[in-house]
Amino acid sequence: MLLFRSEEDIDRWSEMRGTPRGDVMSVEQQWRLARAWFEHRLRPGYRRRTAEEAESVFAAIGLTGPFWSLTPPRG
Amino acid sequence: MTAVARPRYRRRIVTSDDGTTQDAATDDAVRLAVMRMFVDEARPPAPNELASIVGMTQAEVEASLRRLADAHVIVLAPGTPLVWMANPFSALPTPFEVRSGDRRWWGNCIWDALGVLATIGSDGEVRTSCPDCGEPLRLEVRDGEIGGDTAVVHYSTPAAQWWDDIGST
Repeated sequence: MLLFRSEEDIDRWSEMRGTPRGDVMSVEQQWRLARAWFEHRLRPGYRRRTAEEAESVFAAIGLTGPFWSLTPPRG
Repeated sequence: MTAVARPRYRRRIVTSDDGTTQDAATDDAVRLAVMRMFVDEARPPAPNELASIVGMTQAEVEASLRRLADAHVIVLAPGTPLVWMANPFSALPTPFEVRSGDRRWWGNCIWDALGVLATIGSDGEVRTSCPDCGEPLRLEVRDGEIGGDTAVVHYSTPAAQWWDDIGST
């Protein structure tokens, strides 16, 4: 998870590495994800989210589709 | 020099037939002690320090650290009982520097770097650079709002593969 100046920088970097472009989000989305993911991390009783719970957090920020899937597709 | 008193996170003694509940209480105490030291000192405690903080033997602490690593709650340096990552914190310097006031930490990635500010609940800034053009980039959080340089975030690895090689993710 890296921060780039622009989407053109992502394209050049991906091409130079010969790796497919992944997914892109705005800085605002990343901040919302960071808050949702970490803001209670200092509380006692923390447990790692289940795959379904993590997907719900992603979806609430607009991160959906196969790239953000943690559960097998439903038949 | 005056010794600084550290908060203690002694485990709750919980009995159960299989020890699972007690392990959970132990692991939560160990996890919180690791996180608190990252917040306060920007580093994880060594196992012997953890043993003193939580009131356990070093062997018990190392067993707890292994359980937490197996559960993907922390990451240990390969082949050691030393904490490498307790997300969002990194024990080693990274390209993601986080500052709040006169304090400084390292995040494992841009998500974690912003996650440090979310974890501590404070304003601050993240400094990194564009991997393509090398231009320095700075994001800032003020009163819960994100600002700073114009930039975008790229995730190269699909979510289902993040823990295949967490050091690279």
